[in-house]
Amino acid sequence: MAAKVVTVNRDTKPGIYPVLIGMAITFKNMLQTMFGHGAATIQFPEEKRKTSGRYRGIHILTQRLDGTPKCVACYMCATACPAECIYIEAGERPEATIEKYPTRFEIDLLRCVYCGFCVDACPEEAIFMSRENDLVGTSRAEMIIDRDRLMERAKLVEYGPGYRPTDHDVRRPVRIAALERLKHEHGIVPGPPSR
Amino acid sequence: MAGIEIPHFCWHPDLPVDGNCRMCLVEIEKMPKLQIACNTVVSDGMVVRTTSEKAVQAHRTTLEFLLVNHPIDCPVCDQAGECYLQDQYMEHGLHDSKIQPEEKVRKRKVVDLGPIMLDAERCVLCSRCLRFEANVTGTNSFEFVNRGDHMQISTFENRPITHNYAGNLADVCPVGALLSHDFRFKMRVWFLEATDSVCPGCSTGCNIFIDHRDGEAQRLRPRRNVEVNKSWMCDIGRKEYKEIALDTRVTAARVRGTSGWEGASVPTALDTLADRLREAGTASAFLATPQATNEDLFAFRTLAEKVGGMLDFRVGDPQDKVRVLEDSVLLRADRNPNTQGCLDQGLGRTGVKEILAACAAGKVGALVLQGPELLRSAEALDALGRVPFVAVMATREEPLLDRAHLVLPAAMWAEVDGTFTNYQRRVQRIRRAFAAPGSATPRWQMAAGVSTRLGTPLPAATARDVFALLARAVPDYAGLDFKTVGAGGRGLPAGPEQIATQEARA
Repeated sequence: MAAKVVTVNRDTKPGIYPVLIGMAITFKNMLQTMFGHGAATIQFPEEKRKTSGRYRGIHILTQRLDGTPKCVACYMCATACPAECIYIEAGERPEATIEKYPTRFEIDLLRCVYCGFCVDACPEEAIFMSRENDLVGTSRAEMIIDRDRLMERAKLVEYGPGYRPTDHDVRRPVRIAALERLKHEHGIVPGPPSR
Repeated sequence: MAGIEIPHFCWHPDLPVDGNCRMCLVEIEKMPKLQIACNTVVSDGMVVRTTSEKAVQAHRTTLEFLLVNHPIDCPVCDQAGECYLQDQYMEHGLHDSKIQPEEKVRKRKVVDLGPIMLDAERCVLCSRCLRFEANVTGTNSFEFVNRGDHMQISTFENRPITHNYAGNLADVCPVGALLSHDFRFKMRVWFLEATDSVCPGCSTGCNIFIDHRDGEAQRLRPRRNVEVNKSWMCDIGRKEYKEIALDTRVTAARVRGTSGWEGASVPTALDTLADRLREAGTASAFLATPQATNEDLFAFRTLAEKVGGMLDFRVGDPQDKVRVLEDSVLLRADRNPNTQGCLDQGLGRTGVKEILAACAAGKVGALVLQGPELLRSAEALDALGRVPFVAVMATREEPLLDRAHLVLPAAMWAEVDGTFTNYQRRVQRIRRAFAAPGSATPRWQMAAGVSTRLGTPLPAATARDVFALLARAVPDYAGLDFKTVGAGGRGLPAGPEQIATQEARA
């Protein structure tokens, strides 16, 4: 798409005229704020800016019905993470059909770049993002949030859920790419075996 | 070796051919049906097609069949990343499963077999574990039970595996059915970096990979060498990595002052050692350790010769056990990786008894220990008390180090470059996988540092240089360097001792 070209006339002679133009713009905006669409400024933090449903804010670890983390500690998010901000330690879950779960799951929110790759990588829909974006703390250590705090976040209705795998099937493109490679490199087109 | 990859599960280079997985089917001209590549003898003029439409279709169908009852629990499976099923699905499969998860046959999961965890659902029934048990250890722990799609592997009454080679079962298993208990849930394998090395657990010198991440060893894995260990290693050797990351490592030098231990930098400690050796002169004694690399031993020997002191290494007589096989597979009675190297370099000179006698008689002014073995022996206690200055290179803190007057921090085998000579007189390379903790230094560097302070520097900056000097000084090692030793090691001309054992064996 071609860029829109705007020609600005900078030939205006000095004097009272340019000042009047400037004042006119100022008054126009003042009147619009008072009687038109209102001010662009919001009264943060009492008031919060509206964000999209796919906003990538601070992470949420989802839970099973019994309150245990849905996460199975497969390290897919830590593998996909470009900022290397996810630290996981896996442990054995006693008396359960799923044997593995995270005993530690920590995200360094200061290192995180909020790209959402962890959400894309997760095979269990165990990590979502919320729309919380006002990150405040008094120390760096406080900004590394652990498993339990990540799980509590699911209760935070204040901000609402952000980017999550239900938005689109993220695994599809990976599989399509693998099929393309197979066709291109080996001339194989997989499908159900012919009978 | 044409570099053609043929998909397989049951074939293993060091196990007999079984031909049950049917994954390696290839099309051979003039044969009406597809043949399994693993058990078909090559003949003159044979035309084999490995990627013809028929063969590729067979690979896909076989794989789909193998995956019918597979639980596809890759996210919780430790094999993920080094799994034949995963690799071959990406290469040959990519089909959509026709089976609903609830239709799959359920089998036993999370069965604890001691050092091994069994998950029968993930098994592809390749029988590699059965053949390993039958042909390598002779223990026959595993058997197939049940029939048809309910078939699974099992030990009798789920008894645990008790032999010393259980770790290999996890290695031979192409899928996640048999997994190591020690490595369970510890790490995803794709984070690991592998460094070629040699197991320091005994005089066999099994070739291994050190799998490590961020400077910490996570597991040891056998590296195939038909001349030494084939594809196996023992569980005692597998645990060697745990010694490296102990928080009781010696990480700094220390000298005994008037009021007890005083911390010192390695150079100052070496200054002290050089001063004491200069004072003691020929009234000094040196004890090498068969735990050290050939380079360490050579630098130590050079130092001992320069000072003119007594020299030996045979604390606990490891030389008598070098070739004594403990369990008819790999493990040898001599738990030192380099006793043969000590013998080759002629380090058994004065005799340990003679050195101790001289110590007891107060004729030794300075005793230098390359390893802490002597401190541990009860008979040496009195003699050591009579020596005014004992220096020891140690890797691990232990109360016995209080018997010394100077402690030098030594780097461990995974932290240094060098060579070990195994019981067969095979020189094998070990490589530095990660940095040593604190100011721990390779033993040869410390010995060379003392030599420098005594006015005869060792003309070497790296372990490679030391080995070059060694090759010039020791006739059997002539012409060897790190390059010719290579990845698989190099056998030395058989010595009279070895010829005797070979004759005895024949």
